[in-house]
Amino acid sequence: MKELFESPYFGVALSVITFGIGVKLNRKLKTPVCNPLIIAIVLTSGVLVIFDIPYESYNKGGEIINMFLAPATACLAVAIYTKRQILKEYWLPILAGCSAGSAASMASVYGMCRLFGLDDSLAVSLIPKSVTTPIAVSIAEPAGGVVPITVVAVIGTGILGGIFAPFLIKFFRVSDPVAAGLAIGASSHAVGTSKAIEIGEVEGAMSGLAIGICGIITVLFSLLIHL
Amino acid sequence: MKIIKQIGIIFSVCWISVVIEKIFPGVFPASIIGMILLFLCLAVGILKIEHIQEKSDFLLENMAFFFIPAGVSIINYTDILKNALVQLIVICVVSTVVTFAVTAYTVRFTMYLLRKKKK
Repeated sequence: MKELFESPYFGVALSVITFGIGVKLNRKLKTPVCNPLIIAIVLTSGVLVIFDIPYESYNKGGEIINMFLAPATACLAVAIYTKRQILKEYWLPILAGCSAGSAASMASVYGMCRLFGLDDSLAVSLIPKSVTTPIAVSIAEPAGGVVPITVVAVIGTGILGGIFAPFLIKFFRVSDPVAAGLAIGASSHAVGTSKAIEIGEVEGAMSGLAIGICGIITVLFSLLIHL
Repeated sequence: MKIIKQIGIIFSVCWISVVIEKIFPGVFPASIIGMILLFLCLAVGILKIEHIQEKSDFLLENMAFFFIPAGVSIINYTDILKNALVQLIVICVVSTVVTFAVTAYTVRFTMYLLRKKKK
């Protein structure tokens, strides 16, 4: 029975099916809590646990999917390039906001990890958690972080940002759409950006730009502190 | 053929960035080198956006899908998740609010300075 799941087709097919269900549910329920990726992870893990399929068998297909992570990260460059006009116009506020936001994120996470007495590998996994998944993983992994913890924390942060963005805009009285968009992108990357696009065009564009810029800045900061 | 060509271009950029990472180890992760390299190619004009548009849209739109295996491997680490769940949630909530506020106020302050300078 076990060898049936040894084919890489199984892992890829299971991932596509569960992701498809996730996208469908997300479209129907229209709430950031139903993030397609979270639904796919929960369903896929559920299938593996219930049918007692070893993770290694699933991961034969998983490795093929992983191969697309680096190309997808590289394509964030295309997302920045297509927005180069607004980048030129607002380069100073964008650079200042993203630098301060990335520093605040890393410092606050580090401080709380120390406060809670979490061990170093967990702290390293969490420090890059406000940037988009591929960049967060490429910071956490070589530094000795636990990659799945990083992935879950990044998505969790994105979902929180997506839910709270409209409330945070009101609470901190952010009337300027440029500031609001950058704040959403810096604090909750791509998942928050999908909410920012709903709020307004400028917010959406700024949020999308903040994903890539904060990603690069966070990499630079992590090099500086020798993460 | 169009899509094959685009896959070829993007995968070549990724492979070159792996080579660069090997030559200068510990500076940047390969995926970030790939991102910077691709941006430079577009900015300098070696690549036109049409050369990679469809493949890039495909990768960006389906970005979340590619993280399923990484996320599923959480089942190998359930003990960490169980032990630190509350702390993890607190860290995510607090740092999200802090990052939002700091970014928004920094942008507002910078724009205020710029406007003042113009006057």
